Amino acid sequence: MSAATEPAAGRFTPQSALELIKNNPIFVAIALLTVVTSVVEPRFLTTDNFQNIVIQFGNLIFAALGMTFVIMAGFLDLSIGGIISLVAVVTVTMIDKVGQGPAILIGLSVGLGCGLINSALILTAGALTQAESLFITYGMSLVFGAVALMYTQGVTQFLTYSKSDISVFNAINSGSVGPVPVVFLMFVVGLAVLLVIERRMYMGRAVVLTGGNKVAARLAGIPISKSIVMIYAISGLMSAILAVVLVSRATLADPTMGTPWMTPAILAVVVGGTALIGGRGSVLWTVFGTLLLVLLNNCLNLLGVSSYVQFMFRGVILILAIWLDTAKQNAVRK
Amino acid sequence: MVAASAPGALLSIRDVSKAFPGVKALDRVSLDVSGGVVHGIVGENGAGKSTLMKILSGVYEKDSGEIVFDGKVIEKTTPVQSMHMGLAIIYQELNLVNTMSVGENVFLGRFAESGGRSGVHATARKLLDSIGCKVDTHKQVSELSVSDKQMVEIAKALSFDSKLIIMDEPSSSLTDDEMQKLIKIIADLKSKGIAIIYISHKLDEIFGFCDVVTVMRDGRVIDTKPVGELSRNQMIAMMVGRTIENEYPPRPDCAGETILEIKDVHTRKLKDVHLTLRKGEILGLVGLVGSGRTELVRALFGADKVAKKTVLLDGKQVEIHSPKDAIRLGLAMVPEDRKLQGLLLGFSVEHNISLAVLARLSERGFINRKAEAGVSDRQIKALNVKTPSGKTKIRSLSGGNQQKAVLGRWLEMSPRVLVLDEPTRGIDVGAKYEIYLLMKKIVEDGGSIILISSELPEVLHMSNRVNTICDGRINGEFDPAVASADEIMAKAFEFA
Repeated sequence: MSAATEPAAGRFTPQSALELIKNNPIFVAIALLTVVTSVVEPRFLTTDNFQNIVIQFGNLIFAALGMTFVIMAGFLDLSIGGIISLVAVVTVTMIDKVGQGPAILIGLSVGLGCGLINSALILTAGALTQAESLFITYGMSLVFGAVALMYTQGVTQFLTYSKSDISVFNAINSGSVGPVPVVFLMFVVGLAVLLVIERRMYMGRAVVLTGGNKVAARLAGIPISKSIVMIYAISGLMSAILAVVLVSRATLADPTMGTPWMTPAILAVVVGGTALIGGRGSVLWTVFGTLLLVLLNNCLNLLGVSSYVQFMFRGVILILAIWLDTAKQNAVRK
Repeated sequence: MVAASAPGALLSIRDVSKAFPGVKALDRVSLDVSGGVVHGIVGENGAGKSTLMKILSGVYEKDSGEIVFDGKVIEKTTPVQSMHMGLAIIYQELNLVNTMSVGENVFLGRFAESGGRSGVHATARKLLDSIGCKVDTHKQVSELSVSDKQMVEIAKALSFDSKLIIMDEPSSSLTDDEMQKLIKIIADLKSKGIAIIYISHKLDEIFGFCDVVTVMRDGRVIDTKPVGELSRNQMIAMMVGRTIENEYPPRPDCAGETILEIKDVHTRKLKDVHLTLRKGEILGLVGLVGSGRTELVRALFGADKVAKKTVLLDGKQVEIHSPKDAIRLGLAMVPEDRKLQGLLLGFSVEHNISLAVLARLSERGFINRKAEAGVSDRQIKALNVKTPSGKTKIRSLSGGNQQKAVLGRWLEMSPRVLVLDEPTRGIDVGAKYEIYLLMKKIVEDGGSIILISSELPEVLHMSNRVNTICDGRINGEFDPAVASADEIMAKAFEFA
């Protein structure tokens, strides 16, 4: 099925809302987390903290949205850390050479190119299992990261010292259109485009079908190779967008800055309910998965939980999400 | 071993019921099986055969009723416990560890008490010898044929001193030759006083070597009778709950001029194959598993890369490098393995049906969803697919209805050439007949069919022409209206 056919995803009636909650424990989790945290920690409901949450969400969501397509097709992309690092340093160093607009375009092209390289390697190797894609993209993550280090000689590039105009980056960091922050606008546009591809377009369906059963889909004429190229291209491009956002926020580009983003991106997708084995999922679900992760992170920070323990929480949540999904699938099968 | 003359039955099932959400899978089922008897169980898909077996083996728990095995009341059991009690099940999809050796599989999880590595192989050897199987116990299971894997399963059952062996559709992927071997082993087990429950769709087998047969329908036992007291038609009528006049519709007769020609096909398996197909013709392709029959149609369809092949459509040479190319030219294929190659189990019936025409239903990259639903509804109606709606997941349909949906996927594109690889495997009698009628309609509408089937009667009744394939070569051509089954099989077995 594609999520498009689910009544829960389209019309909203009281009944479908109830079903939605029952089938999506994530809403309950988000609500519970919000209520409990606001009670035990008054700082949670302050404007400062709200802005904090929005910023964190606005970062992770780009990588997670891109990753959703990859996972829906039954693959994984561990290379996004390397891609983010590479795009960040290339973008920043290009500003003084070609100006900020072209620099961003070059950065996005590099991200897209990295994704295309990933898919070319996977197709050439005939590596059509999830495990194979995992190892290939992990390898490429090292390669992309190494290129970023070689390119900068390991030196952090500062945006603030740029001789050129960096108004676009400033706008991404703190600008807003009316009351709406620029990054939020970018998120809404990105989500809308991906949602249309997922639910309305032939290639979106091809991606989910690939995740459902590659062999059967191919025998029915569905373009599997094209789907693979598309998912990695989207993942690469979305990682590049995140890189530009991160550069704008930090006003610097570090050749290792992408590394911490890979795990939470996958986590957000899986927690959102997209099946790790592929064939079922939605970018819309990923929005809620990301929100839950960001809220949890924020809550643990406010409560002063050490980052070591936070890592454990992440692990537990991932296992819980997969366990819940498997249990749900088994119930369907019986 | 239980002596054949033991008083009472070895296995006695009394009023066992089992319900799943929304379905009564078993409704007060009663059944007695005695030692030294081959007890056939027949019934359409969904009749409750598998549920009953899964309760016996401990996969499911019964809701009510009583099961007595070998004098002991069985309340709750696990698959491992039931094996140790002497009740073994050999499933259709065999339960062996492919990466381990034959000997290790026979004594899986019991190495220590079976005398370690050398003991395991020695004992496994003895067990395999006792059923006349010569396969090396050190060989990895993945290298064995389906038939040999079954032998390993039987040896495993014997290693537990099983008193009852349940075989779930054991013949579905066996050649006739291998089937003869299995029949001999069954007779041998029977003479040792072991009871066999033999589940099958194939009436020939029930009449061939079963002593008693139980017919099930809709979760109930319709009747249990000695095989001799039933006629074929009576049994079918009991299974489907109505009388079916014939198992096959009359043979279509509308073959015209040649439309498809395949030649110079070279792969590791296929050697210089040459095949022609006429418009409106059903061409039967008969060969053993591994003869190259599936490889040939997969090569034609572009499913596998082939070193060299020439395909002529309407006398013009065409290039087919992928299924997509084949589909564009009007070719269609219903693959051998429905679950792995045909269906997208987690998707709706609608999405499964629209698959092959999805590109055609899309405009500038956008799917016309109204048209998609229309296609699905039309095929569901035309093929009488029993489903609550097009939005239902195809997983929940019976095998026959799933197969009809797969056929619907291809019929929507009105294929010029339709390849059917084992189209009726694991499908009940009623649905089979519907599929035969469909085949007839396709050729009458000007399509052509290549039919591959392990069920020779099906090929003989439905085809206009039969080619035998053996060891990668087409080695015979027959007119099924006059040729006998023996003649054709002899040709298919020629290399031996």
